[in-house]
Amino acid sequence: MLVLARKVNESITIGDDVVIKVIGVEGMQVRLGIDAPRNVRVLRQEVYEKIREENLLSARGEAGAFIKAAGLLNTEDRSKK
Amino acid sequence: MKLETRDFGSVDIDEQKTIMMPSGMPGFPGMQRFVILEREESRPFLWYQCVDDPGLAFVIINPLLFKPDYSLDLTPAMKDMSWEEPEEGNLVVYAIVNASEGVPEKITANLIGPLVINTGKNEAVQMVISGSPYSHKQPIFQST
Repeated sequence: MLVLARKVNESITIGDDVVIKVIGVEGMQVRLGIDAPRNVRVLRQEVYEKIREENLLSARGEAGAFIKAAGLLNTEDRSKK
Repeated sequence: MKLETRDFGSVDIDEQKTIMMPSGMPGFPGMQRFVILEREESRPFLWYQCVDDPGLAFVIINPLLFKPDYSLDLTPAMKDMSWEEPEEGNLVVYAIVNASEGVPEKITANLIGPLVINTGKNEAVQMVISGSPYSHKQPIFQST
């Protein structure tokens, strides 16, 4: 991993069109400003990871469980009415 | 067009209804074309079957069915996809469902990674929402 030291208001550029600027530092928290083209998705990594893992699990489901669950949902709906 | 599916064998689909996901889904790079399959016996669950890989399918559901107060700012999805303002009425939101536990009662839905489909353009994006009060493992059946 490339490690760079930057001061507040200094930036790094990645490729031709991504710029990350250090906006401020407070204790353990760093605020970053990111300029990137629209087709580059910028996401907090922990949230992205959660969704990636959840997608991987979701792709494993089997049809049988859902037919039973559909029955349960429909019963719940009826009991509400 | 004939399509091999994960759970329903070979099915006939209308190619016009193929949904494009230019940025794919986290965990499944390169998988960009999907179709929605519906089965009478498993409603309200729908299948989000990948066209590029017959072995890949997700089950999706309208989140309002189990989380009636679910609300979402769709602006980031519209920006990501360059969808214009008037198209907002064409947007449909689904939650991706996780049944990996194999027990119907333990089925959860991911409310921070909703699938947003533009039915006018047949394009979709999976949003990644941070800082929201919602869970990525919201039980569909409330434990009583």
